[in-house]
Amino acid sequence: MRGAAVLAGLLALASVAALLRGQIDASPAILWQGLVTGEGPGALILDTIRGPRVATALGAGAVLGLSGTIFQTLFRNPLAAPDLLGFNAGAGLAIIAGIAFGIALPAPVLAALGGLVVAAIVGALAWRRGSGTPALTIILVGLGTGFTATALATFLMTLLPGTAAAEAQRWLTGSLAARNWGHAAQVWGAGIALTLLAFSQARPLKAMELGGELATGLGVRAEPARWRISGVAVLLAAAGVAVAGPVPFVALMAGPFGARMTGARSPAARMAAGAAAGALIVVLSDLLARSALPGLQLPVGVATGLLGAPYLLWRLSREMYKGEL
Amino acid sequence: MLEASALTLSYDGRPVIEALDLSLPDDKVTAIIGPNGCGKSTLLKALARILHAESGRVMLDGEDMTHIAPRALARRLAILPQSPRAPEGIRVADLVRRGRLPWRGLLSPWREEDREACEGALAAVGMAELADRDLAELSGGQRQRAWLALVLAQGTPWLLLDEPTTYLDLTHQMEVLGLLRRLNRRSGTAVVSVLHDLNLAARYSDHLVLLANGGLVAAGTPDTVLTPANLSSAFGLRAQVMPDPVTGTPMVVPLDMADREVPA
Repeated sequence: MRGAAVLAGLLALASVAALLRGQIDASPAILWQGLVTGEGPGALILDTIRGPRVATALGAGAVLGLSGTIFQTLFRNPLAAPDLLGFNAGAGLAIIAGIAFGIALPAPVLAALGGLVVAAIVGALAWRRGSGTPALTIILVGLGTGFTATALATFLMTLLPGTAAAEAQRWLTGSLAARNWGHAAQVWGAGIALTLLAFSQARPLKAMELGGELATGLGVRAEPARWRISGVAVLLAAAGVAVAGPVPFVALMAGPFGARMTGARSPAARMAAGAAAGALIVVLSDLLARSALPGLQLPVGVATGLLGAPYLLWRLSREMYKGEL
Repeated sequence: MLEASALTLSYDGRPVIEALDLSLPDDKVTAIIGPNGCGKSTLLKALARILHAESGRVMLDGEDMTHIAPRALARRLAILPQSPRAPEGIRVADLVRRGRLPWRGLLSPWREEDREACEGALAAVGMAELADRDLAELSGGQRQRAWLALVLAQGTPWLLLDEPTTYLDLTHQMEVLGLLRRLNRRSGTAVVSVLHDLNLAARYSDHLVLLANGGLVAAGTPDTVLTPANLSSAFGLRAQVMPDPVTGTPMVVPLDMADREVPA
């Protein structure tokens, strides 16, 4: 309980700090004045410059964190996250393809389609008759499929004119630059609907976490449940990718980080903690990326990459130590 | 009554059980025995609907199992798979509570009967004291008892277990088997386990099912199933069978195999 309060407090602090700090720092007083009166530089920051950006960061981080936590629980493996499984890369590829071929579909729809197609491909390639597929096989197949999607996206970028290509490149790294309230509304709207769907699956997830056979014994149809839960988690990740790009490692880190901080044990509690941790990671990473180096605004994906790569190495060594790899 | 009729099963595309007819009694402790790869576990999985039959049927109390809704079935029949894996950091009490999943809806509150079922299950396996412990901290025997408590909390008249004594030393094997028999005697739960050790199976079961080569060799009381002729045809084992000096149940004493040719 105390851990959950600390996590919530950190999240609030990070959000306020993200509103205050930037190319032009604002004081809390200016921000407060802007909030109350709706005028002055504080209002400009809240309304246009940083408000929508922070709101988008919170939403994107939460859906990515929730998605990762669900996959890690479902596959009972801390390496199972939509970024390593290639689903984020699939969502990213679909959006780049949308730009390159001028497909007139909204970004979230494209991202959802891309994520689902890659999930179906990974599922089909890793599927084994009879016995369940080991999580590690799915992860490796996902990694390979994700690399393919990223390579295709890079290739498609060469078809774009110079400025569009640069923008696409930045977006593929994971970026929150120039987000408006439309983006925030998008990720929050889709996020809330999908979160409700995800929590409605908490009961089967609780059974699936004990393995498919025991889940069947507990009255859950294991195979449909696995696809259903995966589908919701893919859509959650896609909702995040649609507004922030395929930000790396957020979904991978959020679940274990949230559970460690809050001591959450049940799948539902870990899902809530993972969402909060994901939001915290993205808001802090974005703050770091745009204010650490004076005069240089890096995309948020650079910061999560710097955080996530060492985490992945540490996690791999731990899994090897436990004999899981 | 749990019955299989003309049941054919395959595993990873390989036929394992062919046209098996079998009937397992209510209110009894049954052990399924047989040589490695004879399809014991596969059969148990089919009886619990984890594995779908290639052809033939499984019937629970005269009802075709494929016609029973998953949750309704989970209230009548529980299965403990072989060496299940627990979520990281789970406590014994939380693990056992998951046995109540078939009885609870998405929003239904934790009821008195759920609490009683979990406490009863923990008490039955002698784990009440360890309820708040982390499962990973416990010994192998204690962990196995915690898993047993999970399926006991499910509160089903049928309990199926796939090699519940694997990785346990002899004392703990006897503890688990004794516990299952007590449970059967006390509450009438029908227990069906896949077991390796013939003498322990004979000691703790009322009914034995001996399988070999995808078919049934014999089924019935331990006395009628564990005969030298059946052991020879199922295991290719030459053995004498004599009464166990402690319990009087049949005891298998293998004969010297020095004269037996090692198969190429």
